[in-house]
Amino acid sequence: MAATINTDNLPAGSEAFFTRLYKKAFPQVAGYISKRGGSFDEAKDVFQDALLVYYEKAAASGLIINSNETAYLCGIAKYLWLKRYRENSQYTPLDGIDIKLDADAESPSNNRLMHYLETAGKKCMELLKSFYYDEMPLTDIATMFGFSGTRSATVQKYKCLEKVRETIKEKALAYEYFME
Amino acid sequence: MNTLWNETARIEAHLSGTATTGDNLLFEANLLLDPTLHDKVQWQQKTYTLITQYGRRQLKKEIEAVHQQLFTAPEHLSFSQKIKRLFTNR
Repeated sequence: MAATINTDNLPAGSEAFFTRLYKKAFPQVAGYISKRGGSFDEAKDVFQDALLVYYEKAAASGLIINSNETAYLCGIAKYLWLKRYRENSQYTPLDGIDIKLDADAESPSNNRLMHYLETAGKKCMELLKSFYYDEMPLTDIATMFGFSGTRSATVQKYKCLEKVRETIKEKALAYEYFME
Repeated sequence: MNTLWNETARIEAHLSGTATTGDNLLFEANLLLDPTLHDKVQWQQKTYTLITQYGRRQLKKEIEAVHQQLFTAPEHLSFSQKIKRLFTNR
């Protein structure tokens, strides 16, 4: 059975999307982790990271999976669990799943910068997120943010990108934040 | 073609590898001629990383809200009890 992830309603319908996946897949993932001695909080962490990976794959679009989405999501969760606890050093990564979660995203200077972007820079960040992270179609972005068309959405996207780039530079230097 | 957003767009094309060969050559020449351009390229790269981090933070908040709803709302009681039993009866 082949299934295509339906991203039509994302991210506006993400609450329903995540609720559905939670109900379908979390019991299986929790059962798996419970049997291996993991706690409820560990099952929760692993499952939430798996949802994030799954969302990013879905947002990147064109993803066609060869079994049902519950099996796919459980596969990601098992991989993350094994990676986290190195239960089996012989384990080989799932084909086509390149899972990188932020390593240095939690540094104090990065958190400070992120807090600034979440408040003062929120309008631009939401636009940039919809384009680069959610990978929404430009026509949808134009409608969602009230632009007259895709061209003005594109112009605004680049203006925001430049504004945020200059903000990051200024704040980073002020916070004595050094680029790797 | 000299507006600022066009420069930002050219940096993006250069970084994402979507620029044509001719545009890339021109961009390389500009990097040599304009000392501020290299700096902009570096910060723009950092900006994309931060947009991804920002997106993940917002998404994690949405997922956590769903989790809280499922484990506190009365209509999801049978679901939450089913999960919790997995960690208590062992």
